[in-house]
Amino acid sequence: MMLAHVIRKFNLLVLTLIVLSAFSFSLVYLFPGDPIVNLTGQRNISQAHYDALIQMHGFDKSYFHQYWYYMTNLFDGDWGYSFSSGLPLWQEITQTFPASIELSSYALVLSLLIGVPLGFLAGFQHHKPADFGLLAASVIGYSTPIFWLALILILVFSLQLGWLPLSGRINLLFDIPHQTGFILIDIFLSDSLYKSAAAKSALQHLIMPTLTLTIVTAAIIFRLTRRSLIDVMSSQYIQTAYTRGLSNFQVVMRHGVRNALLPIVPLFGMQFAVLLTNAMIIEVVFSWPGIGNWLIQAINQRDYPAIRAGMLAVSTLVIIVTVSTELLAKLINPELVGKIHGKS
Amino acid sequence: MALLDIKNLTLEIDGSSGWMKALDKVSLRIEEGEIRALVGESGSGKSLIVRAVVGAIPEHWRVTADRMTWKGKDLLTMSQIERRKIMRSEIAVIFQNPLLSLDPSATLGEQLMESIPGNLVSGRWFWQRTKKRREMAIKLLHKVGIKEHKKYLGAYPHQIADDIGQKFLIACALVSSPRLLIADDPTRGMEITTKTQILKLLTRLNKTRNLSILFVSHDLLAISSMSDRMTVLYCGQTVEDGKMSQLRKRPLHPYTKALLDSAPSFRKDLAPKSPLAALDGTIPTLQHLPIGCRLGPRCPRAQKECVRTPELRHVQDHFYSCHFPLIREREKQ
Amino acid sequence: MANLNMYQEEFHPSPLVHTWLEFRKSHIAVLGLWVLAFFISMVIFGPLIAPFDPLMQNPNAFLIEPAWDANGSIRHVFGTDSIGRDLLSRLIYGCRMTLGLSILLVFLSMLVGVAIGAIAGMSRGVRSSILNHLLDSIMAVPTLLIAIVIVGILGVGLVNSMWAISLALIPQFVHNTREVVRAEMQKEYVLASQLDGARRFHLFFYCILPNMYEMLVVQCTMALSVAILDVTALGFLGLGAQPPSPELGTMLSEGLKVAYKSPWSIALPGSAIFLMVLSINVVGDGLRSALRNRLSH
Repeated sequence: MMLAHVIRKFNLLVLTLIVLSAFSFSLVYLFPGDPIVNLTGQRNISQAHYDALIQMHGFDKSYFHQYWYYMTNLFDGDWGYSFSSGLPLWQEITQTFPASIELSSYALVLSLLIGVPLGFLAGFQHHKPADFGLLAASVIGYSTPIFWLALILILVFSLQLGWLPLSGRINLLFDIPHQTGFILIDIFLSDSLYKSAAAKSALQHLIMPTLTLTIVTAAIIFRLTRRSLIDVMSSQYIQTAYTRGLSNFQVVMRHGVRNALLPIVPLFGMQFAVLLTNAMIIEVVFSWPGIGNWLIQAINQRDYPAIRAGMLAVSTLVIIVTVSTELLAKLINPELVGKIHGKS
Repeated sequence: MALLDIKNLTLEIDGSSGWMKALDKVSLRIEEGEIRALVGESGSGKSLIVRAVVGAIPEHWRVTADRMTWKGKDLLTMSQIERRKIMRSEIAVIFQNPLLSLDPSATLGEQLMESIPGNLVSGRWFWQRTKKRREMAIKLLHKVGIKEHKKYLGAYPHQIADDIGQKFLIACALVSSPRLLIADDPTRGMEITTKTQILKLLTRLNKTRNLSILFVSHDLLAISSMSDRMTVLYCGQTVEDGKMSQLRKRPLHPYTKALLDSAPSFRKDLAPKSPLAALDGTIPTLQHLPIGCRLGPRCPRAQKECVRTPELRHVQDHFYSCHFPLIREREKQ
Repeated sequence: MANLNMYQEEFHPSPLVHTWLEFRKSHIAVLGLWVLAFFISMVIFGPLIAPFDPLMQNPNAFLIEPAWDANGSIRHVFGTDSIGRDLLSRLIYGCRMTLGLSILLVFLSMLVGVAIGAIAGMSRGVRSSILNHLLDSIMAVPTLLIAIVIVGILGVGLVNSMWAISLALIPQFVHNTREVVRAEMQKEYVLASQLDGARRFHLFFYCILPNMYEMLVVQCTMALSVAILDVTALGFLGLGAQPPSPELGTMLSEGLKVAYKSPWSIALPGSAIFLMVLSINVVGDGLRSALRNRLSH
């Protein structure tokens, strides 16, 4: 029964991804300009080359064929070329995507570490001053426009105090070869002589973007946890547990926390998506070489192949992460098991 | 000495129009080994009494009583810790709707085993204790009539039927061998077959373990068969209190009589399509409580006197508070 | 205070009035409502109270400090920007644009979203369930991402970004409407109306819609705060309103260039956005608490 549910969810995931890829393919026709040029990103080519491309991508056949060729090319790694840089898109995306994922993951972990415990604290202190204070802070936290917060932090910490660097991922003097795309891992893996200095520089560059993202995301996670905990603590079984004489610790830890966390785990997956989107804005402010920065520049420069490829990459990741967390949450939730019938 | 002795308990709630007396001088006394029924319509304050005994009253409500003692110890002035200790070991409560009282994310076995206090299980090692706990749990389940313990120990609350749930909660309650079991409408909404099972179980426990039971309900038919004494509550006031057999034969208060009459009768000599006997009107809201005897506006025997609250009188150990009890009716006849 | 009612009548407020009374009990929520009303009044009366034309450049008055600074003057209360435009007027028009646009967008999305959600909620069958699941997947994608995608396709500019955000807000409305409609359809009063012979249209407008108002208001506040953040984000990224438009996000990105010399050119527009979103969120929070309190009594 559980397996059936998992399979169904997985099927829907695949269906959604297919719809997404079909939409991304159709953009080739929706964007202004010649479809072949939009697809491959190669302009100003000879007529012979052009005809060859038509053959290669099946543009002389039906739409379904074209879509099929498109999908096979995607899986092969041929994503076309960028209008502005002329580089293969696959390379550009694999170089910039990990930077965004790194930033988002650090921010997510930090937000969870801050938001969840504070949420529990506020939930237990419901109607008391600590709760009000934390709640007020959280409303301010998630009402702040994230780009403004980044600018204020830059103003204070970079320009006024000069503590932290303004932009970029690492001091340009360090030359760390790209291996995984995650800068801290790359520093570790490289054989540069200045590993610790490079790591220190990378961390300094990481602090402000991560902090900006964390403040907003932690506020949201805090609110989610707090609300879930308050709802759980006012339910009948918690009251009954107290009347049964169970100690505070037992009631809270065994029953309260577990039931509070279960329904919000899928929401954490959605928060990753929000986090990734916010990260894209932050990247522009901090000139962080991630996919957000790249994508927005591409939009400004009307680099259609890049736009198409970037959107596909980001949307795919977002949907996969969200559905996976939802699935995971459903798996550990006991409510999926069926009813027991029979006599006592 | 009585187990639970409550005299003139008054509970006031702060509402928008001032303090309202949700419970007005309620008295209750439970002896050892006795099954007492607490009967009243919804809104009469039965659950409030349970909560007052348990100690689950919100802080901004006012509780006053001449006497509210458990085995002689005053419940109103004792500390939270002592209260909890009593709750854990001597008084047990079961509520209506058993599935709501269980943690949906833990199995039944887990919940039963964690209620077993540490001093009842001996053993040096952790696994010895867990094994002992499991044995005790199985024994308890058998005692309440759940035979297939393997199946149910590993089940989650949403998988089981209502009556198994209630029996399970009774098993949880019995863990610490309490002296008093307070059952707050445990058979509400159950079908008649399951209801009888639960009631039979409670009667059996009362007989074999000398367990006193305070059975709160509005189902007269169910409890009239099993309880020793009954207290009738109307709108926060004790209306009548006495032995079950006496109340059934000779109710002194009009309200008790109306309650007893309202149970549908299956007598053969009733005329067809004769109306059901019921009291006119509905229970008043807290904001508009009548002064004096609260049954006044609805009572068919009410007179000018009833504006004054009647005090508790008694005929031997049959208590009533009415200016015009049904004694005179008998006398006239 | 003595109860001055002579008549013993019970006061039974309708759910909406009840929610409003509960809402009023929280002082902070009411304060938020006042701030929001202030901003909305700027939307309506903006052109009447702005001292200057927001687009008018004054070559004699570059980067004047705000009035509270030593070099400022009361003529330009908030100072001027790098090409001499008065900042106060730009702020007023900016709030007008951002808030006005957002309200319009939310209203549009609500109409479309509720319509789709109602149809989806009232229909049954496999086709609707697949559609529902697809819509749910789209809901997982943040609105800003959807908006960026749509702007990427349509091109930059104010009108395109408006379409983008409006489309991005629709899934939320569809999902919530569908949930409420489905839940209400199970209830007996709807069944009673159907047995009376009510058609689907009548069923929706007279039975279900009045029970949806509260959900709609809460959804609208949430959507409004998201819309404002998205409009300003797109403006900031250069994908939305273009300069010299006095949209708050665009103003923020313009002020970035001179931020070091004149920090108020990013502090002021940003604070305006912050206050707007804060007031909406506070009001939204108050509404949700009021709803919860009403339902628990």
